[in-house]
Amino acid sequence: MRGSLAAAALVPIGGALASCASSGTGTSTGGGAATTAAGAANNPFGVASGSSVDAVIFNGGYGYDYVTFAADLMQKNQSGVTVKVTPSTQIAQQLQPRFVGGNPPDLVDNSGAGSIGFNTILDQLSTLDDVFAANNLEGTKIESTLYDGVREPGTYNGQFLAINYVLTLYGVWYSQSLFAENSWTPPKTWDEAKDLGAKAKAKGKYLFVWGKEAATYYQTLAVDSAIKEGGTDVRLAFENLDPKCWSQPQIQAVFAAMGECVKNGYFVPGGAGTQFTAAQAQWSNDQQALLYPSGSWIENEMKKATKDGFKMTGVPEMVLSSSPKLPYESLRSASGEPFIVPKAGKNVAGGKELLRVMLSKDAATNFTKTKLAPTIVKGLVPADGFGSTALQSQAKMLDAAGKNVFDYKFVTRYGTNKDMLVVWNAFLSGQTDVAGLTSGLQQITDKVANDSSIQKEKVTK
Amino acid sequence: MTTPAVAAPGPGRKPKARGPRGRMTFDRVSFMVVFLGVPLALFLVFVISPFLQALYYGMTDWSGFSPNFNFVGFDNYVKLAQDDIFRRSVFNSVLLAIVVPFATIVIALLFASLVTVAGGASGGVRGLRGSSFYRIVSFFPYTVPAIVIGIIWAQVYDPQAGLLNGILTGIGLEKFKSFAWLGEVATAMPASMFVMVWALVGFYTVLFVAAIKGVPAEIYEAARLDGAGRIRTIWSVTLPLIRDNVQTAWIYLGIAALDAFVWMQALNPFGGPNNSTLVMPQELFNTAFGKGQFGYATAMGVVLALVTLLFAAAVFIGFRLAGGRDSGGRL
Repeated sequence: MRGSLAAAALVPIGGALASCASSGTGTSTGGGAATTAAGAANNPFGVASGSSVDAVIFNGGYGYDYVTFAADLMQKNQSGVTVKVTPSTQIAQQLQPRFVGGNPPDLVDNSGAGSIGFNTILDQLSTLDDVFAANNLEGTKIESTLYDGVREPGTYNGQFLAINYVLTLYGVWYSQSLFAENSWTPPKTWDEAKDLGAKAKAKGKYLFVWGKEAATYYQTLAVDSAIKEGGTDVRLAFENLDPKCWSQPQIQAVFAAMGECVKNGYFVPGGAGTQFTAAQAQWSNDQQALLYPSGSWIENEMKKATKDGFKMTGVPEMVLSSSPKLPYESLRSASGEPFIVPKAGKNVAGGKELLRVMLSKDAATNFTKTKLAPTIVKGLVPADGFGSTALQSQAKMLDAAGKNVFDYKFVTRYGTNKDMLVVWNAFLSGQTDVAGLTSGLQQITDKVANDSSIQKEKVTK
Repeated sequence: MTTPAVAAPGPGRKPKARGPRGRMTFDRVSFMVVFLGVPLALFLVFVISPFLQALYYGMTDWSGFSPNFNFVGFDNYVKLAQDDIFRRSVFNSVLLAIVVPFATIVIALLFASLVTVAGGASGGVRGLRGSSFYRIVSFFPYTVPAIVIGIIWAQVYDPQAGLLNGILTGIGLEKFKSFAWLGEVATAMPASMFVMVWALVGFYTVLFVAAIKGVPAEIYEAARLDGAGRIRTIWSVTLPLIRDNVQTAWIYLGIAALDAFVWMQALNPFGGPNNSTLVMPQELFNTAFGKGQFGYATAMGVVLALVTLLFAAAVFIGFRLAGGRDSGGRL
């Protein structure tokens, strides 16, 4: 009696103890059942009828209703298929057990501050070449409807694993109306920026503003400027975490210019203690600062905190000299919102089909119209930009840049943004100088470069 | 085992055991299963097993997102010892564990004395006028969730729109215009500590009030007749008499300060200027979910557990030593 009771009590404990955090097998073969009607024109991936699709979407600046929109379309097109769209703001925390346990969702928008570091899940993702090769709902091959260079940001170790849906371009943003009023022009070089800073100061305004969680927007600006000035070699040095990458002459010249702006008081003081959207409102609502370097999500993000008649407009980031290696018009255009289809998902075909619908005309137009940001699908922004000056300027910048678009991933790939914020906040508030900034950033990149447990990616082009 | 089982009954209590120890009746066994087996099982599954697993995962290079990983022995701990950012976070956590409990207890003890025994010098021993009102008000912050407190204070500290700078510049201190309390190395940590103390002091005031109420009023009367002032009364009468409560409070506060995750995440989610407010749990969280290094993060967790245990041990020893010195004064 005693023994059997003890055994009975211990069995469940044993089971629970054995099922430790990582014991999931992860061997379920996704998509095995989904072979019906593969290759048919309206169902190229062969989504099984009656199957369901599980999509987990980052609920950030763009919301998740645009995926629900596409899901409704897909449910109409594919009879009997149900799509469940779940919003999440903490992708990594929420999906970590599902990835380990081998039952991830069929489609994930792996974005936001709580996203999963790509280098940890690369071997668990399906390649997405077949999505770009498929025809969209209108019958055109998807790849031919997209902007140049959109495959690059989703390519890891030569494999195309993530479709970045939203076209994000990085620029410097200003108020067209305020500039017209004072007959200022947006600066094209750092020297012009410094001149404008002096003019702003004369008016009791500042050139730049920053917030504590977004101090690294100025790193983006600096690195982009340096890459435009020095070309691909500068970019590759950063991408491959070169031991001297932050001492390259181009980046040093930009740092020096920024350092002067800090010293001359062209930055709104107190940024290191200001929440970033509050800081951005000092630009878009209070108009204390003239310029703000940011990605093109800025208009949507500040929609409710932008002064009436502000006429937000973007221009390319500043260059150093009159003869940069890449023209002034060149852009860092990183498509954002990376959508991934995990291999082990129960309905891989369903995940891809949902992406195909999203890349078709109706869903993509819906996104641009409601979020005032272009997707990677070309030519869906009308001349009036749905009434948005920022969207108009984005279309203009993209056209002017043409093939001169670049992107880099050394910050997001190794998750170093948080450490870099510390150094940048110190620099922008004047607590450290250019030398301190340089050595601080170099220390952070060296730490990753010298850590053998972190899987590196060699970037060659 | 059977003979000495009844050897040491407590003084003044009648030995209960009669005859041989009871048979294993169903009653007895089911009682043991329910009241001993189930809690023990829960404890093993939810406390001991994660603990052992953490020890194990701390010695792997697990990324957290795949079922595969390698055993790397003590590599993670060697790396931790050389990781300057982690060392900084350990320093900050230890600093919090020293300053926050001390400040909270001193203030809570003062408040508790004020509202119980530090009232008028004549008549019965009582608190200040309106003390029941103060007692309730001092508890208010504790009823607000920590994350809300963090967010509110982050707004209060805002350089441009914040209440604090508004007041300071309002009374003519112009140099606080746009002063970034949470953005300057010199002020970020003290400002964060202040928020934690502000949040915690109410509860410990109430705890100490209850403890002081348990002390017979005659002792305070006697002390007063002997000419003890208020500070002297706190130091020589109250403190020795509620020593056990202070010790408990110190340990709880220390553990709360070693965690500090919620407050710090709300005030300075990225560790503050030059990582001056970065605490261990924040660094752990970022390493696990931000950088996808769960094995390394687990090793941090093990270090955090060790620091917490060391802290508790240090407090016990400290109080034992202090108790040994003035135990003569105990009643």
